[in-house]
Amino acid sequence: MKLELQAGSRTRILAVILIGLMAIFVIRLFYLQVIKHEEYVAMAMQEQVKRLKIPAKRGLIYGMDAGKPVPLVMNQTVYTLFADPHVVTEPGKVIDTVRRVAGGNMRSGIEAMLGQKDSRYQILATKLTRKQAELIKNEQLAGVGFQEVAQRVYPEAGLAGQTLGFVNADNQGQYGVEEKLNDELTGTDGLLQTITDVGNVPLTIGGNNIKKSPQNGKNVVLSIDRNIQSKAEQALAAGMKHPGQTGSVIVMNPQNGQVMAMANVPTYKPAEFFKVDDAAAFNNGVVANPYEPGSDIKTLTMAIGLDKNVIQPTSTFVNTDYIKIDDRTITNATKGQTGVITMQTALNYSLNTGMVTVAQLLGDGKSITLTARNTMYEYFHDRFGFGQRTGIEVTGERAGIVIPPTQSEGNAVRYSNMSFGQGMDLTMVQVASAFSAIMNGGTYYQPTVIAGVLSDNKATFTPAPLKPPKMGVVSKETSAKIHNMVHEARAKFYAGKDKPGFDIGGKTGTSQTIENGKYIDNQTEATYLGYGGDDAPKYVIMVRVSGKGLNLQGAQDALPIFTDISNWIIDYLKLQPKG
Amino acid sequence: MPSLRQSAKKLVADGGMIRRHRPDYQIVLYMGLLMLLGLVIMYAIGPQRANVLNNAYGTDYYTGTYFFIKQLISLALALTAFTVMAVFPYKLVQRHAGKLLIAGFIACALLFLFGSVLHINAIAKETLGAYRWFNLGAFGTLQPAEFLKFGLLLFCAGFLGMRARQGLVNSRDKTLIPMALITILAIIFVIGLQKDMGTGIALVAIIASMMMIAGASKRVGLLLLGGILVVGTMFIVTAPHRMERITTFLSGDSGNVDDANNYHIEHAKIAIGSGSWFGVGIGNSVQATGYLPEAVNDSVFAIMGETFGFVGLVVILALFTALLLRLLKVADHLGDMRLKLIVAGVFGWLGAHVVLNVASMIGIFPLTGITLPLLSFGGTSMIFIAAALGLAFQLSRYTAFGSKLEGSNEKNKSSSSRRRVGGARYAGNRRSS
Repeated sequence: MKLELQAGSRTRILAVILIGLMAIFVIRLFYLQVIKHEEYVAMAMQEQVKRLKIPAKRGLIYGMDAGKPVPLVMNQTVYTLFADPHVVTEPGKVIDTVRRVAGGNMRSGIEAMLGQKDSRYQILATKLTRKQAELIKNEQLAGVGFQEVAQRVYPEAGLAGQTLGFVNADNQGQYGVEEKLNDELTGTDGLLQTITDVGNVPLTIGGNNIKKSPQNGKNVVLSIDRNIQSKAEQALAAGMKHPGQTGSVIVMNPQNGQVMAMANVPTYKPAEFFKVDDAAAFNNGVVANPYEPGSDIKTLTMAIGLDKNVIQPTSTFVNTDYIKIDDRTITNATKGQTGVITMQTALNYSLNTGMVTVAQLLGDGKSITLTARNTMYEYFHDRFGFGQRTGIEVTGERAGIVIPPTQSEGNAVRYSNMSFGQGMDLTMVQVASAFSAIMNGGTYYQPTVIAGVLSDNKATFTPAPLKPPKMGVVSKETSAKIHNMVHEARAKFYAGKDKPGFDIGGKTGTSQTIENGKYIDNQTEATYLGYGGDDAPKYVIMVRVSGKGLNLQGAQDALPIFTDISNWIIDYLKLQPKG
Repeated sequence: MPSLRQSAKKLVADGGMIRRHRPDYQIVLYMGLLMLLGLVIMYAIGPQRANVLNNAYGTDYYTGTYFFIKQLISLALALTAFTVMAVFPYKLVQRHAGKLLIAGFIACALLFLFGSVLHINAIAKETLGAYRWFNLGAFGTLQPAEFLKFGLLLFCAGFLGMRARQGLVNSRDKTLIPMALITILAIIFVIGLQKDMGTGIALVAIIASMMMIAGASKRVGLLLLGGILVVGTMFIVTAPHRMERITTFLSGDSGNVDDANNYHIEHAKIAIGSGSWFGVGIGNSVQATGYLPEAVNDSVFAIMGETFGFVGLVVILALFTALLLRLLKVADHLGDMRLKLIVAGVFGWLGAHVVLNVASMIGIFPLTGITLPLLSFGGTSMIFIAAALGLAFQLSRYTAFGSKLEGSNEKNKSSSSRRRVGGARYAGNRRSS
């Protein structure tokens, strides 16, 4: 443009200054925008591009209800309300609104929190429902915001607490199935690499965005039946007559190894795990507390004798109520059945001498030789899986202890004790699984609490693949014979307690306990191991109760709990009475 | 000097004879283009900005078009102010310049009273620890410093023009001391009480450009420069945040964005640097999503650099330069020294804002909180700049052909240029003859 400014005038000087400055600006802009462009783009990317996690949803946990999956553990989104006191303009309105809407979820002392003007983050209320959060949002309060928090909820409250476990504040499964299957339940978080705004909100600007969808955790369906579990918990609680007693119950299906219930006292509510003082309450006693199982094992000793064909139910031996092994004398708890008696009688009266006789017969007939011990060890350890973890999907399972004959401790005295269930530490799930094997025709099913998985949309149920069972743990004939013997053992004394027309059997156990390495007399644990069914065994129930300083007896303290559950479950499973 | 005095006297006579002619429409053209660009950028980054504010304050108050519509309203008000000042007889404005200045001072004093003394936030709005705005409720906010600037411009133009006519521009007692007193009083209000360094510098720039055109001697110029340096240094060392900005500036292109002091300027440079030749395009600015502070106000130049690139910024600078040069031309060609000084003041005002804002955004001058005229979001600044330009536009009707300072008639020899510049006037003459 033609300006025609006066030569040498002040306006001309101003124009020169102006154009000079503008020239500097343009040069500087060229330097920043063209020469240093890459550098500034790199700086921009460094702070604008964020890798955001798209959290995977934690899988739900279902139980069964008469063969149909029902939820036991679900997810819920709750909201944490926070404030930036620096930005809050109407503290009075904020306090009123939060008090009105949040009620008990409000933290105490929020007036003081909002007064801290130099603080930028104060939590005003936690665990708000979506509805509460929306009510507060609608008030359009400046300086308050929400954070989504995923939390587990338990529609059945404390049901099967130790089997389920809980999820801690770091979203990690603890105890039970939650810990054991943590990886499957957690799933895989997705990834979003994107340009975001300053508050990390992804923008659609830019073409280098990467998105990987999250893989949600699997919805696990447990074989735990909601109703059986509930009944087991109720029967256990009702059956413990002494204060301070603890106890456990397992109910399993002997035809496939699926656990239908595991109940424990004491127990806890997973939703309130943080209120538990003693972490022992988190452990599932059925899998985590090995003990000397006592007379229940006599059913297995008999099965070994039968399977090795050294005895028959009707085989006889001379009972003197005493038997000498090396330098020890073993006596019977129930005395008076002396003379020539059958093995069935020995099982009926739970005579230790009978079991030691079977052990001797496995050897040379006079003593528990190495051959006898090797045979017993092979059955207990290799076939029944004692002294090894069963692999049940509950955290905290213990292997127990079975001492092999190759060790000096595994001598004849030890194996004489083992024949009637002392001198080895086993878990209830080990014993119940072995018992299931000898009752079902000789197939050992690895015990499991997993029935299958439910698809992400909860529409399709896929049964869990069967773990290969061990066939022929005992022969079919052996199984038939021991089945009959166990039935007889219960029928002899307790037939009147059972629903007529069903096949029910069981064995009591009263085991001595060890304190400081010595058996003590004033404290015994009571157990009962039994089965029930129609044309075949359909359930195995094992009960164990104990208590400090209590002399608990199998027949008085454990058997009634078995009977209670057994009579109920016959109706629940709709078993058909014979003839 | 006698020649100057003579010509100045002669000019009064000349000025009276000059007829009203066609104004300089290029002023409207450049101003309008810049305003449109500002509107475009508000439309482009408004949604991002609204989002940032909503997130920060936890509300849904700001909508995507909030800034666009507000800017549209500001532009309507600014164009109204421009039109009013373009048609309202300048002589009336001149006559009441003193009253305007006093009103400006009173407004600043009231703001200080309601804000810093009484702390009535319903009347005085507090931002970053300073009271700069009156709260007008539904009508938004008003910055009295802009009012003061306008009053000072008109009054000093009249005063200096009178002194120039008397040949007393460089007189210590008659001119320099009164000018210094008024300036210092204004600076105490704007920089001292309102803590607004940017507006203060603009104020000084207005006075300085008027002094320069009025014919201040080199000695007075150096005195003025020295005074500015001393007072400026004083204000800088007494305020920690200004000192930090200076040290930040001196540390250069450190590229360190973690330092809170560096944050603003480094992000301005990141925004500009991301733009390359042609920019990321409308609606693709990422820095506007909360990284760069004051994205719609003081930092809008940086956002435009990101959006429109080097080419876009050069166009914007070219538009500002063209507008400023037109103002210089009008000033140069006005006969009446008082009018000449008004336009010179407008030049100083607009020029100071543009230069300070751009220089601090591109990191060659310490950060000063000052708006980019016609582009930044914000009502008061826009309205008063438009009003000032409107006045200059009105005065462009009264330019004589050629330069009217220092006996231009003999020196302007090119008849072709005479025809071009004075074309309108010739037409007017033709009509009148």
